[in-house]
Amino acid sequence: MTRQTRLLDVGRRRFLSGAGLVAASALASRALAQATVDLHLPGGPSARLTTDAFPGKRGMILQRNRPPLLETPMSVFDQGVFTPNDQFFVRWHWANIPTEVDATTFKLNVHGRVAKPLSLSLADILAMPRVEIAAVNQCSGNSRGLFTPRVPGAQWGHGAMGNAKWMGVSLRHVLDLAGVQAGATVVRFNGLDQPVVDGAPDFSKSLDLDHARDGEVMLAFAMNGEQLPLLNGFPLRLIVPGWFSTYWVKMLSDIEVLSGPDESYWMAKAYKIPTTPLANVPPGAKDFPTEPINRMVPRAWITSLAEGARVAFQPQLPVGGIAMGGDTGVARVDLSADGGRTWSPARLGPDEGKYSFRRFDGAVALKARGPVALMARCTSASGAVQPLAANWNPGGFERANVETTHVVTA
Amino acid sequence: MSDDQKPETYGKALLQIAGMVGGFALALGLGHHAFVESLKAPPPAAAPAAAPAPSVSGGGFTLTSASIALPEDDPPYPAGPGADLMNANCTACHSAAMALTQPALSEAQWTATVTKMRDTYKAAIADKDIPAIVKYLSVVSGQTAGAGNRPTTGSGDAGGATG
Repeated sequence: MTRQTRLLDVGRRRFLSGAGLVAASALASRALAQATVDLHLPGGPSARLTTDAFPGKRGMILQRNRPPLLETPMSVFDQGVFTPNDQFFVRWHWANIPTEVDATTFKLNVHGRVAKPLSLSLADILAMPRVEIAAVNQCSGNSRGLFTPRVPGAQWGHGAMGNAKWMGVSLRHVLDLAGVQAGATVVRFNGLDQPVVDGAPDFSKSLDLDHARDGEVMLAFAMNGEQLPLLNGFPLRLIVPGWFSTYWVKMLSDIEVLSGPDESYWMAKAYKIPTTPLANVPPGAKDFPTEPINRMVPRAWITSLAEGARVAFQPQLPVGGIAMGGDTGVARVDLSADGGRTWSPARLGPDEGKYSFRRFDGAVALKARGPVALMARCTSASGAVQPLAANWNPGGFERANVETTHVVTA
Repeated sequence: MSDDQKPETYGKALLQIAGMVGGFALALGLGHHAFVESLKAPPPAAAPAAAPAPSVSGGGFTLTSASIALPEDDPPYPAGPGADLMNANCTACHSAAMALTQPALSEAQWTATVTKMRDTYKAAIADKDIPAIVKYLSVVSGQTAGAGNRPTTGSGDAGGATG
């Protein structure tokens, strides 16, 4: 867009604001959807606009317009363990996103080291045996903006995540139809999005063949009972339960079976983490061994009270929120109001499956009015416990530590 | 979507809105009947009523073709020394917001990021322009981050530009 057209746009906005008295209310609400939120990122900049301007989305935190980065406000996670499709976070790498997908002509191609290459229509896929799983989709860099010292990248708060019931077909079923050949080791996934610049690396990701054929990895055409929003990957998205969202390729259109490691950029160079526990290295560290980011780890967030809230004093202050076990279920969540010195167990809500968010509710004992630091700590079904100390790496990946919510009781 | 499609789409919507507003004003002069008529036409929706989008069904589930219009892009980079270089080199791939939401990064960190944008993501940045771009980013990110923020002690690895 040229500078001249931008100036014209400013003029149009003025025109719109003048016509606001008579303009359609839908238009007015779009023009006024400019509330700000504070993500409480240490050192800032911390304020973000909220937006209703993206089709199929409402009330999203605007991180970046193009390619879209839209974050889910924390208040949404207090409404239920499943994240509504129209409030589910959005993250694209390249701005060349198809804005139209024709369901009648879309094809998913399966090729490479297979006996019978496939070109599957959506009708083919809808006719296959179905699987359904509840699973958290969390960006590798969720909460990156809270890393201290800060690191470059999308400066997310905690809302680059969501939980949905995904329905579709097993990847194993599709691979078996194609007939994976001996010697195959890796499966690569590519979507319809394209780089803007010639020669830039197309976004694709891969999984080891054994993982791809584990029966849980799936191709979803439904999300919470409806077709996926285009911005979340309509018509097909790869679902990799327990693994970070970078593998959950959107608008999945191409599956390639490889006989060796995927050396392309997005596996070999990007989304690499230190091989240390929780990908933790001292700030400033260099030259450590790395691996592709993989399984998620336990996390918990207080959602019933917002950061910085002022609330009425109660000797037993109710505290609720959501937890995830990472690559397994949630075993327990404990609460603290004294900086993690003492903990009391929270009640867990219904179990929607080991890869789902799980609600927790409890109360913390308060002795006096004033500021209090509240914590919720998740222990996974495999016994992994969130640490109090923050993990750190230069990519800002896999934040794992117990989060603190500061409130004032009066 | 290419940039040059957006103003056209936006312009069409504005013409329709202008039509509605004009119709309303006209109605004030012509009385109730004309007012009601003005509400009937032209259709206010950006997309005129059309045949249902093509769909595919099977097993009790229907997938309907999807089409969206993405909003216009953010404003360009704020004025200042180097802003023209920023707008010329950096907005093809991403909104200015990507840079403007970053914390106060050091010149070494910004150099690593700009170099990565050129070498890995193929931004056509001339070598001679890199110092001015790094300077602009260092100054602006310090300002947007606000007082009390210091450059991080990160390694300069720009791996965080993903995710």
